[in-house]
Amino acid sequence: MIWCEIELSITPPEPIRAPQTRPRDLTEISLEDLMNIQVTSVSKKEQKLAKTGAAVYVISQEDIHRSGATNIPDLLRMAPGVDVAWLDANRWAISIRGFNSIYANKVLVVVDGRTVYIDSNSNVFWDQQDVPLEDIDHIEVIRGPGGTVWGGHAVNGVINVITKNSKATQGGLVTASTGSEETAEGLVQYGGKIGSKGAYRAFGRYFNVENSRAAGGQDAADGWHGSHGGFRSDWDLSPKDNLTVQGDLFRAGEGQTVTTVFSNALPLHGTLNDPISNATSNILGRWNHTLTNGSDTSLLVVYDFNHRTAAGQVDETHHKAELDLSHHVALGYRNNVVWGLGYRFEADDIRPGYAMQILPPRSSRSLFSAFIQDEIKLADSVALTLGSKFEHNAFTGFEYEPSVQLVWTPSDRHTLWASAARAVRQPALVDSGLQADLAIVPLSNGSFGVRTLLGDPNVQTDQLRDYEAGYRSQLNRRLSLDAAAFWSFYGRLQTMEPQAPFFTLNPGPPHLVLPRFFGNLARAQNYGTELAANWDVNGRWRISPQYSLLRMSIARDPSSQDSSIEQKTGDSPAHQFQVRSWLKLRNNLDWDSTLMYVSALSDLAIPSYVRLDTRLGWRLGEFVELSIVGQNLMRARHVEFSDPRIRQTEVERSVFGKVTWRF
Amino acid sequence: MRLAFVALSAVVVHANADEYQVKAAFLYNFAKFVEWPPDVFESSDSPIGVCVVGQNLFGHALAEIVSGRIVNRRSFLVRQISDIKQASHCQILFVSSSERMRYGAILRELRTGVLTVGETEGFIEEGGVVNLKLDGGKVQIQVNINAADQAGVRISSKLLSLAQIIRKPAQAK
Repeated sequence: MIWCEIELSITPPEPIRAPQTRPRDLTEISLEDLMNIQVTSVSKKEQKLAKTGAAVYVISQEDIHRSGATNIPDLLRMAPGVDVAWLDANRWAISIRGFNSIYANKVLVVVDGRTVYIDSNSNVFWDQQDVPLEDIDHIEVIRGPGGTVWGGHAVNGVINVITKNSKATQGGLVTASTGSEETAEGLVQYGGKIGSKGAYRAFGRYFNVENSRAAGGQDAADGWHGSHGGFRSDWDLSPKDNLTVQGDLFRAGEGQTVTTVFSNALPLHGTLNDPISNATSNILGRWNHTLTNGSDTSLLVVYDFNHRTAAGQVDETHHKAELDLSHHVALGYRNNVVWGLGYRFEADDIRPGYAMQILPPRSSRSLFSAFIQDEIKLADSVALTLGSKFEHNAFTGFEYEPSVQLVWTPSDRHTLWASAARAVRQPALVDSGLQADLAIVPLSNGSFGVRTLLGDPNVQTDQLRDYEAGYRSQLNRRLSLDAAAFWSFYGRLQTMEPQAPFFTLNPGPPHLVLPRFFGNLARAQNYGTELAANWDVNGRWRISPQYSLLRMSIARDPSSQDSSIEQKTGDSPAHQFQVRSWLKLRNNLDWDSTLMYVSALSDLAIPSYVRLDTRLGWRLGEFVELSIVGQNLMRARHVEFSDPRIRQTEVERSVFGKVTWRF
Repeated sequence: MRLAFVALSAVVVHANADEYQVKAAFLYNFAKFVEWPPDVFESSDSPIGVCVVGQNLFGHALAEIVSGRIVNRRSFLVRQISDIKQASHCQILFVSSSERMRYGAILRELRTGVLTVGETEGFIEEGGVVNLKLDGGKVQIQVNINAADQAGVRISSKLLSLAQIIRKPAQAK
């Protein structure tokens, strides 16, 4: 009896090992029955991406659902080559292939075609990127330059969040969760039809995140709460025309602990709790039209409003309007051409904070862009893609971002690719107009100086020349591999150049200013690799290991005096390793875990750390799911990043439970 | 214990299957319900050519489904082609949605005697004969009668009774 039990537990029953249909079975089925089989499709997008000449990773809805993550930054930890580091409960530093900072400026982030990268600041406010995770169809993470199609911020990568068509979110959805860090979260959503041609969904969401702890153990006052209402509607206007209209209203309040100078009461400086409030809204329309010859056209119109107040920083309002047209046409057998035109208008109103202002306080600017890309089939298995973006921006005028990719698919199971590209980071208002008092420096004569960072009116674009190669393989039905390697050469990277101190009377009291101006006087050579595998062990258990290596070396020009720039190589981890496991314990019970290692950040004195997240999800019938998630289970607390002005807090071990009800 | 698992998984199998395995089974079934002009075959027992143009999402499913099968004394031969000029031995041509930009070009270059099968709405509009349409997660059949006439393939009433019939006058060649 005992032997029997042991045998059962070590040899899983055969049918479970291969629960998928064997193709042959289907030949015995009549046409009528074939028409009644519910099919599961591998997304065509994923199939297409498998043959792309770029390093792309797709986070699918299933990955999102089974990750147990509650926000987009934590989801992005899943993608190889992405460096996500927590600073406090509402702020992350996120970059791809190096140069991480809470103001990281080399990765473009797009939600349903709407750029959420703030042009005038050259960064992304991750605490404003709230999308109900149930509504995300997938997230594409493109590592490496994407300037040819995406334009002047897509230097090290593009993060593209795509939400579901409202036809796929019909009916009601209610979720509620509570836990030790995120104490309350709830989503109420309903999707319905409008006549025979339209569908919609509308949702309201609320969340509240507790204060975390600063390194000394004290309460960090970085709690975060927000509410978000939004809708999406999709219309089949005709068999050839689709229209999408969607919009969001988001409000959030949160805390941070900042160390700041008070420029109006010098030499006063101190550390204080500084509340932030965010109010953003947007509306977007997208029209796709298929022309009779099979080509298609898409028109995108976006208005985006963004208001953020933080006394320790600035009170900023940004209005952005964008118009994008793209057209895709096949020319004969060999050529697939995509081209597009874009116009973006941005107006900013920025009021000074305690220690910082951006000049001029009110300004507006236009960005004109055009791109063309041609995919040429050189032979049955070889495709060459050539293209460039051409942009005109308000700071440096014309910029171009060409790329060339060669893709060889010797068989359906293997893809080899290589690419070369140039990308730029367009300068932002902050690069030309910043005035920030960073610190009070006591002088030997008893008086004081103020270290001040100043923008450079003649700012230049950072630029990248990048060479990559990669290999993707579906070795068999169960095992796939993805490998990419890159060599990246950066020029004109931003530096902070000290200049001769000068005396000033205004603002009083009279004091010495120790200025540093932004310059573009550094270069970098980075190389690295990202490896990912996906192993479907037996249809019920999937394991996915990943490794990312990044080697950076930064050198300043002889004329540069920025002695800190070379240390920036220590702001991004050299090694990241993770392994994820998805296990179907029973047909209605999932157990999913992620173990992750991130190496030390020498420049920021952050030691290496290991995270373990795990989730148990239990489906009760078709409509209800319960889940329990544990995050950061390895250690009670750890730190992931630091910043000179904003106090880092600790990521704590946490647990939460969630109920999802669909009706 | 094992028997119970077998029974359980058999139910699962029928409820859910990979989209392209099901589409492959449709292609196999079409061979039973379509009559080609005799001159498209070299001899009375030469195989039925099942060709895929464009991105092949079947993997090995198509070859596995038809291997060893005989319909009207003919076996099957599966081929991936990249150019319509290679389609001379194809009796069933599956046109992947990756080719949706060039449906017109593909269909215009094709000689008669080919049952063309697509997987998007635009395929029928451009003159394709059969479309495998995904509707609510199920594969449905659309047949363009006029295109079938022009292609010279006869589709049995059994298949037509299950299909959504579309009459779109074929474009002039």
